[in-house]
Amino acid sequence: MIDLSFLESLIQAIDRSSLDSIEIERGGTRIRLAKTPSVAMNGVAPAYAPMAQPAPVVSVPVAPAADAPAETVAEEPAQPQGNLIDVVCPMVGTFFRSPAPDAGPYVEVGSKVAKDDTLCIIEAMKLMNELESEVAGTIAEVCVQNADPVEYGQVLFRITPA
Amino acid sequence: MFKKILIANRGEIALRITRACHELGVKVVAVYSEADRESLHVRFSDEDVCIGPPAAAESYLNIPRIMAAAEVTGVEAIHPGYGFLAENADFSEICTRSDIVFIGPTADQIRAMGDKATARAKMQELGVPTVPGSDGIVTDPDEAAALAAEIGFPVMVKASAGGGGKGMRVVPDAESFPRLFQAAKNEARAAFGDDDIYLEKCIVRPRHVEFQVFGDQHGKVVHLGERDCSIQRRHQKLVEEAPSPALTPELREAMGDAAVKAAAGIDYVGAGTVEFLLDSDGSFFFIEMNTRIQVEHPVTEVATGLDLVKEQIRVASGEPLSFPDEQCCLRGHVIEFRVNAEDPERNFAPSPGQITTFHPPGGPGVRLDTHVYAGYHVPQYYDSLLAKLIVSGNTREEAIVRARNALDSFVIEGVKTTIPFLADLTRNADFVSGNIDTHFVDTYMAERSATS
Repeated sequence: MIDLSFLESLIQAIDRSSLDSIEIERGGTRIRLAKTPSVAMNGVAPAYAPMAQPAPVVSVPVAPAADAPAETVAEEPAQPQGNLIDVVCPMVGTFFRSPAPDAGPYVEVGSKVAKDDTLCIIEAMKLMNELESEVAGTIAEVCVQNADPVEYGQVLFRITPA
Repeated sequence: MFKKILIANRGEIALRITRACHELGVKVVAVYSEADRESLHVRFSDEDVCIGPPAAAESYLNIPRIMAAAEVTGVEAIHPGYGFLAENADFSEICTRSDIVFIGPTADQIRAMGDKATARAKMQELGVPTVPGSDGIVTDPDEAAALAAEIGFPVMVKASAGGGGKGMRVVPDAESFPRLFQAAKNEARAAFGDDDIYLEKCIVRPRHVEFQVFGDQHGKVVHLGERDCSIQRRHQKLVEEAPSPALTPELREAMGDAAVKAAAGIDYVGAGTVEFLLDSDGSFFFIEMNTRIQVEHPVTEVATGLDLVKEQIRVASGEPLSFPDEQCCLRGHVIEFRVNAEDPERNFAPSPGQITTFHPPGGPGVRLDTHVYAGYHVPQYYDSLLAKLIVSGNTREEAIVRARNALDSFVIEGVKTTIPFLADLTRNADFVSGNIDTHFVDTYMAERSATS
């Protein structure tokens, strides 16, 4: 059986050093410790994944259930709350609920929408951009108010998918 | 004076501009990509707008989104900082057409100086000395080769649309000319979409000496002295200082006058920099003009006691230059060190990541321009500049000793930085004697790897 305090001091030792990995055989038991390599710097990392601190991975042959502390994972782009789909703003501008000031809104809470139905208008630089739905479903929430300025990534609606 | 300005930039310069705006009582709108959500300039701004995902093309270079952000926040002016859209003539023009003041030069001025061959021709017209070379673009390789022989090797083949050292080749002799001429063209086409080439004599041991110029909307143009930026690696500046150890008062006057002639000759408004190569015999030649505030502007600020960014904003709002009328004087000696998130032991490989410890240097004669803090995550999508350390002293010797102490006590952990490299540099005999030219870093690096 592996001495836990020995393991702890080994982890601390490798942490403090510039070693990448170390393998030790002791009394029939082989222990390998490796610092996980940091995420590749070739611009392939997902959106805003915070770079993980190198985390020691302990693999112990005799006890297959290894204790592998997970790397901190990127905050997942908002897909929260059960199965609601977020409609996220793809640009910067002003949000309008209706096609014209005196017209009714494109959608309300409870409205059924099909894929490619217009949900709202985002106006920027005097250009009206219609935002179309990527899914079919029912509007569960309207998250902004008419004439609000909106930014990239802002949640505008939540839809319960059909 | 403007009521609200949008800063179309990020990092340390966005913070610098925020400070200047707040000192002038101007409100600040920060735009940011998703990677910069925790950025200091966003925290210290008055309003902020997320304009896109991390990639620069989708955010800091995305003109429609930046203009939309300017529109929804109702700003009167945009400060483009340096890099990104700072020298994008289209952006300057779009701002003007949208009734938003672009804090920088006009689109025409950007275009005139952005095209290196055109800039050269203009300077020749104004009587500013230029590096002996071709009269504009050369297209025919045989013609070019003949001209190169006439100019005298070594010859530089340079991209007209170029910058940052790209699209350039040093041709040592007639034999290698055709191959390198084509190589430069190919690189230029790939990097800038434009393979126009011109030729310049290659000056063998030059110093890079640039002059800070400033113009206002009332026709006044002044210079604020020089900065010696000879310490470069791959055409990227690492260390800049003022005054230049190589300049006599006569040379300063002659070069300063040439710089003012250059800027005044194009009716320049705002902050600009005229770059010269200085040969060891004291002859100097215009190479390019940068129509923006530069990374190394703090060197001039500390040496003159003037605030260049506030002045940019004042001048853009129509005020006359506030600098005192008498000939600018550089007081004492100032040196700036660029600290980058790069590993000098691994050929300066970029080192993004989380900064775990950050202890800045301080004390008299120490200024630090940085957007970085303990816990800050250095993104991989942008340049590697972490901080600019600007030290000053009454003499160059005092500035160097201060620089050593400051670099030795500057602690950044979590990412690799160039601090140790810079600290070693301050102990190099040639650096200390001021005996440097633009080949210094290459020679220095070669010596280091030979002895290690």
